[in-house]
Amino acid sequence: MESAAAFRVGISFHTFVQDYISFVYSFEDMMEMASVLGRGVEIVGPSNHRGFPEVTDEFERTFKSGVDRYGLIPTCYGSYSDPFMLPDRDLTPAEMYEYLVPQLKGAAKLGFPVVRLQYFSHVIAEKLVALAEKLDLKLGYELHTPLTLESDTVAMLREQIERIGSNRLGLIPDFGIFARSISQHHLDQGRRAGVGEDLIALAQELWATGTSKHDAVEAVQEAGGDERAVSWVNMLWGCFGRSDPAKLVEIRDHIVHCHGKFYSIVDGDEPDLRYEEVVKVLVDIGYTGWVSTEYEGGPTDTFTIAMAHQEMMNRYIRKYAQK
Amino acid sequence: MEESRHVTGVGLRRPQPKERELLCAEAIRPSVHEGQLGYLLRIRLPSYRSLPLSCIERIEVKIDGRGVDPEGMRLFLGGHSHRLDELASLSKIFWWILDHADLFVPWAEPLEQGEHEVAAVMVTVEPYMTGGRFPMYYTSRRRLPVAGED
Repeated sequence: MESAAAFRVGISFHTFVQDYISFVYSFEDMMEMASVLGRGVEIVGPSNHRGFPEVTDEFERTFKSGVDRYGLIPTCYGSYSDPFMLPDRDLTPAEMYEYLVPQLKGAAKLGFPVVRLQYFSHVIAEKLVALAEKLDLKLGYELHTPLTLESDTVAMLREQIERIGSNRLGLIPDFGIFARSISQHHLDQGRRAGVGEDLIALAQELWATGTSKHDAVEAVQEAGGDERAVSWVNMLWGCFGRSDPAKLVEIRDHIVHCHGKFYSIVDGDEPDLRYEEVVKVLVDIGYTGWVSTEYEGGPTDTFTIAMAHQEMMNRYIRKYAQK
Repeated sequence: MEESRHVTGVGLRRPQPKERELLCAEAIRPSVHEGQLGYLLRIRLPSYRSLPLSCIERIEVKIDGRGVDPEGMRLFLGGHSHRLDELASLSKIFWWILDHADLFVPWAEPLEQGEHEVAAVMVTVEPYMTGGRFPMYYTSRRRLPVAGED
């Protein structure tokens, strides 16, 4: 039995996205799978419902009836700021707000308590918090690599959250920021793109020693890396962060949700992300919200690997919640 | 084997994703648009999420190695046709990720029955990357039959 005080593990539909967009799993299938994947449901706005950025009455009925039938709990709605949607200029803050209003209203209409914000929307935070008050929502900036807990951007976001001082605004750490190594899948992507073994070893070494993306790209170019090698390095530095799980203590009052990002499960564990430490810290700080299982590795049986991730999470929760 | 320690599920017995790329497997269909002879190609949005049409920077098509005039091309989506040069201004029209569209390509001479080599490129902006604004290239190439005129 899980401790009543511990946090819970649900599922982000992003886990199934490759199967979903190629008609293997329907939205209904994902709702059904969620019923045996912790029951907490996180959806991705522009992927999972027609009519985005609005939420139609038709989708509201579809979603709510699925929630009823399968006994699900809406946990988090993935909103988008899309600042680069116009070809000639970035969205103005007023346009970004106009884009987010229907997303927040839609999330509330569907019964989600939390909305994931992309950090770009920090420029309209005050207005979004006022709307969240009206809609009874919590908002969280997703901390996805390169937004590690040690980064300047996250320092800025934390400062803003403290300054605004509303419990409506917080953070959503994505566990990809807690990497100890680069996954085999991502190394193989480099190999498939034609990156040589010497450059693959070099990139791993640069990453392990905490080299910045800029310096890593330069080093790989100096070692003879071409455009494809550079693009691969950029991707790695955008997926694998080197945050220390112990730093979660510093944002303990601001965590509104978490993304349980993972790339593989080997021998019952995530070999490249520091999951045991992350779970221990979340238990220690008394986190009682949700963590969404969020697979983002290569093609596989996404249902089975999501189950394996949740077994790992629940094993660590039992280990640390009952001591 | 190292591999066997990985969780991979039921392997080949699991449902396999259908092929998913810009050009769909549907046959090339003869068509007429505003008096212009041509063909329709079925296409899908090569992203994981819906995008406003303003995120499509460019679409290029070649049939049997010969380029198609972009001025005459039309994107048919949800019962509306759009010129490619007006997509940039259509930031309120979203291409839902599970919908297909039809691309009208002007082509005066009839294509012979049988298969033809079709190559297409779509350039999009994924509008939220932390690293900023940069183009994403999706290429697709397949041999497609011409549908019978009936």
